[in-house]
Amino acid sequence: MSYMVAASLEQALKILHEKGGNVQVIAGGTDLYLKKPLPDLVDVSSVPEILGICRDEGMLSIGAGVTHTEAAASAVIQSEAEALAEACRRVGSPQVRNMGTIGGNLVNAAPAADAAVALVALGAKALLVNHAGSSREAFVEDLYAGYNCSYVDGSSEILLRFLVEPCGQGMGSAFMRFAPREALSLPLVNSAAFVRLRENIIEEVRVVIAPVKPAPTRLVETEKLVLGCKPGEDIWRKVEYTAASEVEVRGSLLRCSEEYRYHLVGVLARRALKKAVERALNRQRR
Amino acid sequence: MKEQVIRFEINGEKAEVYADPTLSLLHLLRSRFNLIGTKEGCRKGECGTCTVLLDGQAVNSCLVPAGKVEGKKVLTIEGVTREGALKGKRVHPLQQSFVEKGAVQCGFCTPGMVMSAYALLRDNPSPSPEQVREAISGNLCRCSGYKQIEEAVLEAAKTMQEKQG
Ligand SMILES: Cc1cc2nc3c(=O)[nH]c(=O)nc-3n(C[C@H](O)[C@H](O)[C@H](O)COP(=O)(O)OP(=O)(O)OC[C@H]3O[C@@H](n4cnc5c(N)ncnc54)[C@H](O)[C@@H]3O)c2cc1C
Ligand code: FES
Ligand code: FES
Repeated sequence: MSYMVAASLEQALKILHEKGGNVQVIAGGTDLYLKKPLPDLVDVSSVPEILGICRDEGMLSIGAGVTHTEAAASAVIQSEAEALAEACRRVGSPQVRNMGTIGGNLVNAAPAADAAVALVALGAKALLVNHAGSSREAFVEDLYAGYNCSYVDGSSEILLRFLVEPCGQGMGSAFMRFAPREALSLPLVNSAAFVRLRENIIEEVRVVIAPVKPAPTRLVETEKLVLGCKPGEDIWRKVEYTAASEVEVRGSLLRCSEEYRYHLVGVLARRALKKAVERALNRQRR
Repeated sequence: MKEQVIRFEINGEKAEVYADPTLSLLHLLRSRFNLIGTKEGCRKGECGTCTVLLDGQAVNSCLVPAGKVEGKKVLTIEGVTREGALKGKRVHPLQQSFVEKGAVQCGFCTPGMVMSAYALLRDNPSPSPEQVREAISGNLCRCSGYKQIEEAVLEAAKTMQEKQG
């Protein structure tokens, strides 16, 4: 049994390979360390390939090992992937954000993981490499396997980076969240949206809501409703109604009632979409 | 889990310890280094009383496996006190200010509060009240109602600025 700090990707992959599945990748540890009993661990938080934020052939390339603090403070993410900066800013507490990573947030696969919700709305792709050295790409949206269960297998695979299209002309994104307290409080509902406008018409849209299913969920009916529309006051009420109608939520004694959650789904989906549109319009004018 | 050597820097001094790397940093500090100023509250990242600085950033030491600190720098409340002592004072200006403003009641949250405030003032020597509230938002206090703590941090920022200037 051991705790190994990998200094390079090569070393991390070698450990995964040799251990043949009897080891688990650990990044910030804010989710994994609370799970007992702990398996053998390989710490990837210093592996250069999963760190930093850069541009890669016109895309933003964001390391899986980027912490919530780094993502929230990044000028590039703040201006070109607003939803992600806003989501990371709301995670846990300063201490949790200093350790917790966006990669860990996705692989831990909590239904309303804040960064994951934003990444789905942004249409992010994940880059992965397995113990045998073969790489793959997948949409973040397709990586949830079920409740707290990911298609990324931290015992044989390393999530390297996220690729996000930077918001340019006519594009915008936003993240909204409602929780009982400002800090250290998981969201009752969170939502993120992305839009691309062409001549004031919505030509691409993603609206995501959670927790309504085991994974962050696209509001397909709401998206259909606004696609091809010119956003104006008349659509926001319909957005709110459609969003709340197309999901099924449950209440819980600890968190909130079913009715309240339906209400939040509508309101937050509307606000996220409206904010994303506002930002897209501002970028069109510039 | 098997013990292994962990080398790191604690409060400015080099340390080497043979320990279970999955033990929490909190327990490593308290049981192996007798640094008992760092408190254990919830043991799950919710209360912040175990806050220390890891390479200059506030973290919950209860969530950090000891193996993670290999090659890193840890600062605890004892290190902050010593910083004050090195300047000829009994304690650090932040701690002094907590006492003067009545920000210490039962005192259980205090070491963590001071560490979070210390991390803030290091990056931002003259924070706004909002920034202070944000910086201590991961630290729970059952006694004070937070107002005195906020005042203590703002006051300490002023004192520390004056000394600098
Ligand atoms: C007090 C507290 C409050 C919290 N509040 C919030 C909140 O408000 N919102 C929220 O969304 N989350 C919250 N969290 C959860 C947690 O902090 C986040 O999910 C965090 O982003 C997890 O990242 P990590 O690096 O700590 O993951 P780890 O704990 O290191 O890992 C989590 C999982 O991901 C796998 N993994 C990590 N990195 C990789 C990689 N690069 N490749 C392959 N597998 C990998 C691990 O094997 C493990 O299965 C909170 C946690 C705590 C303790
Ligand atoms: S003991 Fe670490 S946060 Fe409570
Ligand atoms: S003074 Fe008692 S918990 Fe803060």
